[in-house]
Amino acid sequence: MSGPLRAVGAALPRVDADLKVTGAARYTVDVALPRMLHAKVLRSPHAHARVTHIDARAAAATPGVAAVITRDKLNGLNATYGYFIKDQPIVALDKVRYIGDMVAAVAAETEEQAVRALERIEVRYEPLPTVATIEAALAADAPALFETPPPGIVPAYGTGASGFKDPAKNVCYRFCYTTGDPAAFARADHVFADEFRFSRMQHYHLEPFVTVARVEGGEIELWSSCQNPFPLRKELARVFNHPEQAIRVHVPFIGAGYGAKNNCKTEPIAVLLAKMSGRPVRFCMTQEENFLTQSQHAAILKLETAVSRDGRFIARKSEILLDAGAYSDASPLVAEKAGYRINGPYRWEYIDSRCDCVMTNTTPAGPFRGFGGTQAGWASESQIDMIARRLGLDPVAIRKKNLLKLGEAYVPGESGMDSDLAEGLDLVCREIGYGRGERTKGRGIGIAIGFKDSGGVNKPAEAQVKATTTGGVIVNCGTVEIGQGIQTAFTRIVAELFACPPARVAYAAINTDVTPFDQGTNASSAIVVMGQALERAARDCIARVLAFAAAELKCAAEDLRLENWSVIKDNQAHALAPMIMRHFGGTGFEFVGRGFFKPETDHHAPLEAKCVSWEIGWGAAEVEVDEETGRVAVKKLVVSGDAGRAIHKDACRGQDEGAAMMGLGQALFETMRYDGAELVNIAAAKYRVPLANDLPESFRAVTQEQGHGPGPFGAKGMGEAGMLPVAAAIANAIEDAVGVRVTSLPLSPEKVLAALDAKREKP
Amino acid sequence: MSSAAPETISIALTLNGRAHSARVAPEVMLADFLRESCGLTGTKIGCDQATCGACTVLIDGAPAASCATFAWQADGAAVTTIEGLAANGALDPVQEAFKAKSAFQCGYCTPGMILLAKALLTANPAPDRATIRDWISANVCRCTGYQMIVEAVEDAARRMRETVR
Repeated sequence: MSGPLRAVGAALPRVDADLKVTGAARYTVDVALPRMLHAKVLRSPHAHARVTHIDARAAAATPGVAAVITRDKLNGLNATYGYFIKDQPIVALDKVRYIGDMVAAVAAETEEQAVRALERIEVRYEPLPTVATIEAALAADAPALFETPPPGIVPAYGTGASGFKDPAKNVCYRFCYTTGDPAAFARADHVFADEFRFSRMQHYHLEPFVTVARVEGGEIELWSSCQNPFPLRKELARVFNHPEQAIRVHVPFIGAGYGAKNNCKTEPIAVLLAKMSGRPVRFCMTQEENFLTQSQHAAILKLETAVSRDGRFIARKSEILLDAGAYSDASPLVAEKAGYRINGPYRWEYIDSRCDCVMTNTTPAGPFRGFGGTQAGWASESQIDMIARRLGLDPVAIRKKNLLKLGEAYVPGESGMDSDLAEGLDLVCREIGYGRGERTKGRGIGIAIGFKDSGGVNKPAEAQVKATTTGGVIVNCGTVEIGQGIQTAFTRIVAELFACPPARVAYAAINTDVTPFDQGTNASSAIVVMGQALERAARDCIARVLAFAAAELKCAAEDLRLENWSVIKDNQAHALAPMIMRHFGGTGFEFVGRGFFKPETDHHAPLEAKCVSWEIGWGAAEVEVDEETGRVAVKKLVVSGDAGRAIHKDACRGQDEGAAMMGLGQALFETMRYDGAELVNIAAAKYRVPLANDLPESFRAVTQEQGHGPGPFGAKGMGEAGMLPVAAAIANAIEDAVGVRVTSLPLSPEKVLAALDAKREKP
Repeated sequence: MSSAAPETISIALTLNGRAHSARVAPEVMLADFLRESCGLTGTKIGCDQATCGACTVLIDGAPAASCATFAWQADGAAVTTIEGLAANGALDPVQEAFKAKSAFQCGYCTPGMILLAKALLTANPAPDRATIRDWISANVCRCTGYQMIVEAVEDAARRMRETVR
């Protein structure tokens, strides 16, 4: 490439703008097929019980009912699914494990008929003792959620990392990571032990979990609000003993997910009902059901951190307990990331981390924006501030002293930092006015640095780019448009490489029959993993075009460049369309390029491959604390991510702002409240999410373009990091304001007031 | 309660500027009527509890949660959905502003947000930022963090004033 960028970074609307502002964008909820049935499920009223009896005969005879699933209809299937551990049944087998666990499903002509039929299913339960919290699940006399361990695997790990399935009762997975010399602890001046609690949120994606499925002529076809259609296809093939080539997954626009829409949710039930009834089936959950399907991980994090008296980080031992809920889902992967990320982007002599997934009788926890990094960052960035204050050091200075430098490996065997961490820290300090101005009573400033690896683990990705006779370009890859703006980013990247107007590049609909393989739209991997595959595909396609033109013009391809669907030779433009039709005939041709990317497998890297990229979220908050009520008002919030290169500036800004507001909700009020094992604030009318009125008086997201990313044009993944620093920055600001430390989320007025009262009692 | 309760109710409304009549079951909600009977799937159902605002439509110009409004309640009213906002193929200034300012991500709340903003700007062509925040707080957007929506509404107000001029 030469010359200034034209499509990348251009201030043009997103490619999905017209569809989305006119209501024409099609989502899975909008898919309707002729003769389509509607599915509803019966859910367990018990948190933990043996299912002793089910009789669905009356339901099957209810008007309008076409098919009923109970456990005796699962013969011949592999009836359980999951990521590493296959423990979640399509419907309950021997037991139910949380309130809302799916027990039976009905497909009927209307949703109302399906609901009426469910009322006629007789189920007898034998209630069992319940464990609703991490502590209860780990108690010596706790009942086991699984009497016999479900089938599962532990993936290969590299140097220093290890994984264990079922290491203890009600612990489905343990991830450990150790590096360095344990004697480092003995060399420290201080060891600080602190414990932090992290409460769980619901994803609150507005489009519910939804699938439309049909099974006809031995072929399974589904439209799904799913962010990883290829792993979904593979899982459905296993569950249904059905050949993968006879399963076709379509993914229309997705009404957001924030992590929730990975793997099986509504799909197995929709497919099975379609198979049983011979008719298309739509299974669309209600928002209450979303809350009973997936959540973030609550956590307890215990850190023992050794430092020198001048604030050098020496060693850290971490014990993280994640509340996995009733089924393992993605918990092992979240544990891996929480355990791996807990030390933040700092230099250590010794690290010893352990993260356990603890099974409880609550909604299964799964992937959530930040993926373990949110929990880890909350604890680590809170404790760093606490340590700075205990040592009488400045919280920014102590971070700067220990931050990894650009290019410095995270841990031995890892890739280097691809952001200048100090640069970002200076930026948010400047924006918030750190260390400037008069101190006002009750006001304080806090800083935090959110941190995660990005790009997933060892992810392969393949992309295809094709160019038509008249210079239309079609991008074909499995990255789904879930709101992040990837259709815009990818078509702009390709337009830049083709030196054509962005409007000439289209993003193909996703259909697993023809879309090249992708492991999933998650882990901020699209730009850095698929993006690299896509750049190769575009260059491959361009190379084919130039080779063709070179043969036509009887010159070397190196002497040609592409511009606006002409080839330029010696400053003269040769239009490609007529050249192509002269050679291939008037009906024309398509040039097809392919590109593949996968990080190299590397046993020296702890996660078996070096991380592709590092996603950093710098945050700064200014709060005002009302010492009478404990109420915290965030006056100013600044977050900053590093896009490496912003392919679309508004999309980058929007990602960081949305993430920051999610973090603000988590920090101040948003949480799933359980009374025992019962979720009390289920769904919109009772569950509070941030509204526009919760915007801080001053709110800024600054997109950095440091240019060091591995993606096209130096781009990096983003969108998760904006959430990572917010809760810790606010907790740090509260201590700065009123001298009390709250170590448990959310930072509710009750907790802040209790801390203030405790301080007042013992001056 | 009459023992001869009708199975359906006749309604006549102005839907996106055109006269529309239909027979609806008494329990059918306006959102379902629009989506399923009229094929207007731009109206989205989020929480289905009249809280998130994704299903917002305009009834006689006022924003309403169509998931909590019976279809028969729209009898005699003018209902505007997102499909009815663009006139003669040209986007409404509010739509133009949301497009220009990228005030959307997944787009699921966008039809409701745009109609809410339309109602605000019809009632108050020059709202200040606090007023915009207040109005927009009727609906949930989980993606954007709202700031860009607030800016789009300001931009829309500007565009509408310019159109009038």
